[in-house]
Amino acid sequence: MKSLIVRLVPFAAVLAKFALAGTLGIVLGLTITFAVVSRGQGFAAIRAGPWTGWPRNEAAADIDPYTRAILARSGRAALNESEAVGFFAKGDSTGSEFDPACEYTIKGEVPAARYWTLTLFTPEGGLVSNQTGRQGLTSNELLRASDGGFEIILSRKARAGNWLQIGDLPRFIIVLRFYDSELGSPAAAIDTAHMPAVIRGDCR
Amino acid sequence: MNRVDRLLVVLLWTVSVLVVAGITHIAAILFYPKTVSLERFSQISKLAEPGQIAPLPFAEPGEQPLPFADPAVAQSICPFDLSRGGLRLHADVEAGRLLTLSFHTSDGEIFYSMSDRGAQQGKIDVVVLTPSQLELVQADDDEDNPSPDLRLIAPANAGFVIISALAPHPSEKGEARYRAQSVACSIERLAGS
Repeated sequence: MKSLIVRLVPFAAVLAKFALAGTLGIVLGLTITFAVVSRGQGFAAIRAGPWTGWPRNEAAADIDPYTRAILARSGRAALNESEAVGFFAKGDSTGSEFDPACEYTIKGEVPAARYWTLTLFTPEGGLVSNQTGRQGLTSNELLRASDGGFEIILSRKARAGNWLQIGDLPRFIIVLRFYDSELGSPAAAIDTAHMPAVIRGDCR
Repeated sequence: MNRVDRLLVVLLWTVSVLVVAGITHIAAILFYPKTVSLERFSQISKLAEPGQIAPLPFAEPGEQPLPFADPAVAQSICPFDLSRGGLRLHADVEAGRLLTLSFHTSDGEIFYSMSDRGAQQGKIDVVVLTPSQLELVQADDDEDNPSPDLRLIAPANAGFVIISALAPHPSEKGEARYRAQSVACSIERLAGS
C-alpha cells in the first residue's frame, strides 16, 4: 500500500503542475483579453482630431475580431445603427480629456449629412442627467450665424445660444452622429478639416 | 538534473502557460461579441413576438433601452423568425422625415440598412426571406408585373429590425414616436412553407 502511494506521488506532482500551468494560462489569457477589450480602439477605428469613429460596416462579418469585441464591450456598436455614422470625443482638440469644470466650444465644419446630432454621454453610454433635461442638439434646431456657421457651448453654467449643460458628473464624452450621410460608404475618407474643433474655455 | 536541464524545464512550462493563455485569449475575443449580441437579442425578444412591432422607450437619463441611444430618435423593434415564414415590412414615408430601418441577425450582424430615401412612391415594402423562401417567391413572379418588394436574404433565421425616426425638434418627439410605430410588420406565409 505504502509503495503504491510512493509511486503515485510523482504522477500527482506532474498533474498538479499541469493544472497550475493551465489555470495560469487561462487567467493570463482572460486578463489580456479584458485589458485589450476595455482599453483598445480596434484596428478599424478612424481618428479625426478629437473624434474617433468606426466604418459603417462595423457589425458586418468582415470586420476584425478585435474591433468587434471592443465595440460589443463598450456598447458603441450602437453608434452606427439606424443609418447613422457616429464619432465620439473624450477630450478637446489639444488631446486633453474633458473636465466638467471647464467650458467647451464646438465649432467649425461638419461633413455633409441630412441631419446630425450632438449628444452628451457618460463614458459608459448613459445619458447625462442635468437641470435642463436636454442632453443633445440636432442640426435643425441650432441657432446659426448669418454665414451658416454654428457654435455649441458645453458648460455647467447657463450660456446664451446653443448650450448643453454638462451636469454633475466626474467624466463625460460627446457623440456626434450623422444621419443619412455619404460617410456610410466603406472607403469614405474622413477629413480632419471637415470635423468640428473642440476648444476649451475657462475652468472654475 | 544539471542547470541546463532545469532551465529547459522552466522554459517548457512557461511556453505551455503562454500557449494556453493565447488559446484562451483568441477564444474569448471570438466568442465575446456573440454572447453580448445574443443577450441583447433575448432582451429584445421579450418585448415583442416575431412579426410584431414594439416601441422602445425614448432614451432618458437612467432609463435607456440601449447604451449610446440618441435622445432625438424614437425607435421600435420588430423581431423575426424565418422558420415561421418570411417577414414583411411596410411603411408609408412622409417626404423629408428621416425614417431608417436596420436589419440585424440574432448574433449581432447588421445585414442591411436603409432610409426613407430608398422608398418608392412614398412606400417602403421589404420582405426578409431565407434562400429557399426566395426561390418559392421567385417561382411565383409575374414577369409583366414585377413586384415592388425589396427582397432581402437573411444570413440567419432569427433576428430583428430596428425602426428609427428622428425628431429634428424636441416638440416633434411625439410625431417621431408615431412614425416609428406605424411601420407594419407581419409574418408572410408562403405557399409550401
